[in-house]
Amino acid sequence: MTLQTIPITVPPVAYYAISPLLVVLGAACLGVLVEAFLPRHQRWAAQVTLTLLTLVVAGALLGAYASSGAPAATTLSGSLSVDRPTLFMWGTLLAFGLVGVLLIADRSVEPGGAFITDAEGVASGTHAEGVASGTDAGRAAGAASAGGISRAASRVGAGSATSGTSRAGVAVAAPPAGPIPAGTPRNRATAGRAGMRTEVLPLTLFALGGMMSFCAANDLLTMFVALEVLSLPLYLLCGLARRRRLLSQEAAVKYFLLGAFASAFFLYGLALLYGYAGSVKLADISSAAAASQRSDTLLFAGLALLVVGLLFKGSVAPFHTWTPDVYQGAPTSVTAFMAAATKVAAFGAILRVLTIGFGSTRWEWRGVLWAVAIVSMVIGAVIGLTQTDIKRMLAYSSVAHAGFLLVGAIAITQRGLSGTMFYLLTYGFSTIAAFGVVSLVRDADGEATQLSQWAGLAKRSPLVAGVMTFLLLSLAGIPLTSGFTGKFAIFSAAIADGMAPLVVVALIASAVAAFFYLRVIVLMYFSEPSVEGPTVSVPGAFTTAAVTVGVLITLLLGVAPTMALSWAGAGPFVG
Amino acid sequence: MTPTYYLLLSALLFSIGTVGVLVRRNAIVVFMCIELMLNAVNLSLVTFARVNGGLDGQVMAFFVMVVAAAEVVVGLAIIMSIFRARRSSSVDDANLLKY
Amino acid sequence: MSTAALAQAATDNGGPVGLSEAIAFWILGPMALAGALGMVFARNAVHSALWLALAMLNLGALYMAQQAPFLGFVQIIVYTGAVMMLFLFVLMLVGRDSSDSVVEAIKGQRLAAAVLGIGFVALMVGSLARALFSVTPIGLGAANGVPSGNVAALGRLLFTQYLFPFELTSALLITAALGAMLMTFPHTRTTAKSGQRATVEARLRGARVSPLPGPGVFATANSVATPALLPDGSVAPESLSEIIETVPPSAPAPLAPVDAHALVGADHAKSDRISSGEEAQP
Repeated sequence: MTLQTIPITVPPVAYYAISPLLVVLGAACLGVLVEAFLPRHQRWAAQVTLTLLTLVVAGALLGAYASSGAPAATTLSGSLSVDRPTLFMWGTLLAFGLVGVLLIADRSVEPGGAFITDAEGVASGTHAEGVASGTDAGRAAGAASAGGISRAASRVGAGSATSGTSRAGVAVAAPPAGPIPAGTPRNRATAGRAGMRTEVLPLTLFALGGMMSFCAANDLLTMFVALEVLSLPLYLLCGLARRRRLLSQEAAVKYFLLGAFASAFFLYGLALLYGYAGSVKLADISSAAAASQRSDTLLFAGLALLVVGLLFKGSVAPFHTWTPDVYQGAPTSVTAFMAAATKVAAFGAILRVLTIGFGSTRWEWRGVLWAVAIVSMVIGAVIGLTQTDIKRMLAYSSVAHAGFLLVGAIAITQRGLSGTMFYLLTYGFSTIAAFGVVSLVRDADGEATQLSQWAGLAKRSPLVAGVMTFLLLSLAGIPLTSGFTGKFAIFSAAIADGMAPLVVVALIASAVAAFFYLRVIVLMYFSEPSVEGPTVSVPGAFTTAAVTVGVLITLLLGVAPTMALSWAGAGPFVG
Repeated sequence: MTPTYYLLLSALLFSIGTVGVLVRRNAIVVFMCIELMLNAVNLSLVTFARVNGGLDGQVMAFFVMVVAAAEVVVGLAIIMSIFRARRSSSVDDANLLKY
Repeated sequence: MSTAALAQAATDNGGPVGLSEAIAFWILGPMALAGALGMVFARNAVHSALWLALAMLNLGALYMAQQAPFLGFVQIIVYTGAVMMLFLFVLMLVGRDSSDSVVEAIKGQRLAAAVLGIGFVALMVGSLARALFSVTPIGLGAANGVPSGNVAALGRLLFTQYLFPFELTSALLITAALGAMLMTFPHTRTTAKSGQRATVEARLRGARVSPLPGPGVFATANSVATPALLPDGSVAPESLSEIIETVPPSAPAPLAPVDAHALVGADHAKSDRISSGEEAQP
């Protein structure tokens, strides 16, 4: 066969338009190189500088592009659509990324930083603590010690007890390298000494890049790849908490398995829609829906499966089961970033898919999403009432908020779009700051997340209690906070689109949800602090900055929302 | 015979994978069931490519394989790390987190 | 089933499925199905993995039958060859003997899952059959292109139409590599490496200066598996090896309790001790 060369025409790339995305992804790769070549003691400073600089530069490029008034366009063969909603969501994501990175990089609240892997605990424990560790490791290994003569504690090194259980043979080659059971006193001791894994910062940037591609993706395949790009780093980040290792690892496994399960559904939906329309571009699906000779069953089966995958990422109610577990188990700074930024990405994609791809068929599917929104609001509000852990409570609050967001998203009007995006902005800043405050209330075992431990916090630290109260009021939607303006924007858009019954349900649900926020406030102000209750640690500059920014923007958007609302409503999706 | 039989086979495999995810306990086996689901989707994509007369479906199946490979690496790393901590890969033993 | 025959079948240009392909389908399809069922029902995780590998091999052959030769080979090489072997490796490392218990953790979970699965199958099969049974495939003869072929046509699409997702997968692969190292590769040394002097000082200040004892003078064998015996016949605990199962000493010599430092037999020990004692205390 003769080799025939047919020239390939490179698709045009609007570099300026997608420059924020390129900067973020490029800096993530650079971060990996930093990790590879810099000595360990320089890495933290280098990574933090690089990451923060990246976010600022990307934000500046985004601002310059947005203010240049360039028309909305699709680029890279229509894979990415850089329109006004995309720019707004990119800005939101970069802001959340900045605040989230400040929390993640903080080393003052948790000495040495909040991230560690198991393997690290093993290595650092082998040098000096051999004798002390013998008993712990022996307990973990049970009766598995070598030989019948038990003397695990009498000899230097934990190897004798642990090598019995480790079938890998690694333990024999490097005797004291057995696993350390998480949560034992020894685990805590080593956790206190090992440094922070700075790989988390490039991973955060990758996740952020994935999120930015996800909400700009104009065809389903790009959306799928972006979904994985944003998910994989988050799965990893969830499993790296320094304290409560087992809880953290469990959260990672659960999030991973359920996330992969959901993305398989997304993918099957993609395949069916491809079969229906012959293309996965959202605009093509829309035009095929108007004039395809294929049966519509394929279209709606595809949409249903697709939406399952998307709603999972947005933690909307029937698909929310991972949310409380992961929010509780993950390191609090990661939870903060994830809660805010993943919601933006997921709802950005939901809005785009529903508006561009399925806007013309909305009367057929809207009933189902009505039901889903109601279920989400009710489950979030009611089960949230029964929670005793503040991180789980905030997780159920996120489920309820996902229901509110869905109310705005299914309006498929310009007001619904801008209201939903504005709500994402307000919810995100309140949530990041709230998790930031949660990370400050600590006792000897790390964060004190039990609600009972928060009793009387106002007497110990009036400032932190005041800040938390303000944020919880915002989440509840009390006037003068951003939560109120956000809810107002969404509900008025929904009523304008004739969804008054849904808005009534939403109002009832937000009243119920307000109850559990108020419960925390009452607990903080009107009960006596216990003697060995948690203390409020004094945050370093990073956490202080993150919480301050969150609180200020929550206040600002509550008092003067006009500017952000006009940005959010600057233009429609372009497919 | 029409290519629809391929699609039916794909739907069957996808459902078997789904049921497997729901009934199996070993995290690695659950993960293998998810891999089966992705493979079923690939069969659908390849068949639809032929039905529609365009190669897009095949390209997408190719992407799915890349994504699945990356997912396998991350997933197995996570499962390994939890296994080393508690010496079990059953999803039922991992039950500290309950609502 | 030779791939050549499949490739032959793959050259057709749309229309209904040919006879050779139909035969291939009815052989490979049931085998793939059997692999899938075997994976779900096998109790042992390793058996599950092997069943899944069977299903994947058959799927790869089915891709070839469907005018996707490149994907078929990638399926066999990458999926069956690399991914499934990775699964097997990890299974062998961590959970080889972990078979599932038959006890239901959540009551009625299996029944619910089965009902759900059958319902899903009925729904999908019904809708697909209704939607597509009358469809005639267009076929890929034109798309696969006579001069360039399947691989080149795929490559062309990859670098034009799907350029962005293709570039984005690089982020995915970097994440995967970084994540695997993060989760499994330790920060090898968090403290400075200690030098020779420090090692010596640590040893001299430590509990034991000398090396650990080998099998003692009174041991019945000099195997490393035999513990050293102290002169009074008891086992010297420090001589036990950590990695070798220790054989308890066979029939320790019945010795009367004597002075451990004495270098002579039991008979002389008494007089020796008396004389030395007398000498020491004049």
